[in-house]
Amino acid sequence: MDKLERLTNLLLVLLSAERPMTLDEIVHTVEGYPAGKDARRQAFERDKRILREQGIEVLLEPVPGSADAQGYRIDPDSYYLADLGLSDDEQEALNLALAAVRVDEEAGLDAAWKLGAAGPPSGPVVAQASLPSTPALPVFHEAIRKRTPVEFVHRGARRRLEPYGLLFRDGFWYVVGRDRERDALRSFRIDRISGVPESVPGQTFTVPADVDWRHTMPAEPWSMGEGPTTVATVLVDPVYARTAEVQSGSEAVSERRSDGSVVLRLPVVNLDLFRSWVIEMVGHAEILSPPELRADLAAWVAPLAGVG
Amino acid sequence: MARPTADVRLRRLLAMLGWLARRDGASISELADRFAMEEADVVAELELAACCGLPPYTPDQLMELVVEGDRVEANLGAEMARTRRLSAAEGFTLAAAARAILAVPGADPQGALARALAKLESALGTREQVSVQLDEPEMLGPARDAVASAAQQRITYYSSSRDETSERVVDPQRVFSSGGRWYLDAYCHRAGGVRHFRVDRIEAMSPTGETVPADDRPDAGSAVPPDVVFEPDEGTPVATIVIPASARWVLDAVPIRSLAEERDGSLRVELAVGGGAWLARLLLRAGPGSRVVDPPELADEVAAHARALWERHVTA
Repeated sequence: MDKLERLTNLLLVLLSAERPMTLDEIVHTVEGYPAGKDARRQAFERDKRILREQGIEVLLEPVPGSADAQGYRIDPDSYYLADLGLSDDEQEALNLALAAVRVDEEAGLDAAWKLGAAGPPSGPVVAQASLPSTPALPVFHEAIRKRTPVEFVHRGARRRLEPYGLLFRDGFWYVVGRDRERDALRSFRIDRISGVPESVPGQTFTVPADVDWRHTMPAEPWSMGEGPTTVATVLVDPVYARTAEVQSGSEAVSERRSDGSVVLRLPVVNLDLFRSWVIEMVGHAEILSPPELRADLAAWVAPLAGVG
Repeated sequence: MARPTADVRLRRLLAMLGWLARRDGASISELADRFAMEEADVVAELELAACCGLPPYTPDQLMELVVEGDRVEANLGAEMARTRRLSAAEGFTLAAAARAILAVPGADPQGALARALAKLESALGTREQVSVQLDEPEMLGPARDAVASAAQQRITYYSSSRDETSERVVDPQRVFSSGGRWYLDAYCHRAGGVRHFRVDRIEAMSPTGETVPADDRPDAGSAVPPDVVFEPDEGTPVATIVIPASARWVLDAVPIRSLAEERDGSLRVELAVGGGAWLARLLLRAGPGSRVVDPPELADEVAAHARALWERHVTA
């Protein structure tokens, strides 16, 4: 007998069960389980695992009216989604979005299948985008939904966070939330997190009504982190002026010169990231002040320039 | 082709049954298209499903699926037509994809997608917990218009890997966002091939008056993977460099050919080079203790860049 047939029958039977079914009842109802007690238990556990991998949770509950019997069922409320009531154009719009954006290809295809949007979209794809995806992202997404705190290791340090949202900016995903130890809003770059975050079981939190997590991140990476802030002014040549202005925000512009170059005033916390940012512009940017930061850069590049 | 495992088949079968349950029937070829299967496999899986159902497995308790010629008629009931709950990964992917499209400049914030996302989020219990911000370079609009009208363009483009600005005639093919940056894929008449141009580095753009029909364009191929700076080919020069072990991070997303540890712990790396300025940027970020071993002309170019930067910052 084809294993798929047994699995499909098992799913249908457990989904329509009005009360939990014992393993004995199951193997007598669903065909295809082996005869031996151990063998059929193993086969059933395997089937259960396959169902769980599909996101289908088989519940183990006491059987009502019996002294100590335990039985299995699938809760229809956890198996089905509430009716979305999507109109045809809304359905098509989701279909297009899934076709145009590459995040996690397998999950995207499965989502399209479940929503009935599988197949090539009928409309034109107006823009295509690809966003990086990591196993940590769905875990954070789920924790945000359930309002459960998470623990993870970020750049070697263990953090406990009440996650509020996920933000994609300038090529990277960030998780934003309240850092429990610091009791303050913090953001963490997700590709700098080792492994997958763990939910803190049995705890929930609430998101303060006045928190605006989308706009709590400083725009530039060099102004993030903890420590004293130094204000630097940087002259950027025309070729990089626009990019630099977009990165720093227009409020950072302190002067626009007639040749198209700009002077930016920037709060610097992380000197290494700031230095790298200036270097990225390969000679098209100059730190004007303070003198210590000018000297730092000169000393940094001197050996490669053959003057060190 | 190897037969898919039971879990893949179950996932596909449930998707197919759900889709069929929402209509009375479908052609086998449409099912094969939608679910990326061979027609014979579609028929085999449907015939198997027709034997599934609830005890006592009498015909009235089995799924009603009748395959006749190239069509299947289905009567699966209202339960089967309901949408299945999304997994965490699916929910996230869907929200991220929809948010990304809504972040594209010009997207309608009250349009069908926004409405679909709102319904989905309320069903999932996730209210606006993903935010995607895409940058909007000045030339994005013109680049998208050029693609839509297949209009050949003359562009002024700054290449950061060579640190030079050039004029080129290009046939625009598509615009896409990868790793947070917008790119214009276009056939470049100067390079004689399809190139990915960063839209924020296009300084000026004007139509030449020629149009290039889609059929005449060479295939743009796949998008640049988001974490790769450039795609090396046979003509790409190779350099050998040494960097301190503490600067290993600069090698992220760099096309490395070999990497060896020196006796003092520093790293000796052979890598494909995107251009002199590109290599200078890499070594300058790696900082003191790094050098170009070979070839000498690239070593000179890196030193010249370092010297220019030093001269701008050294205080007499």
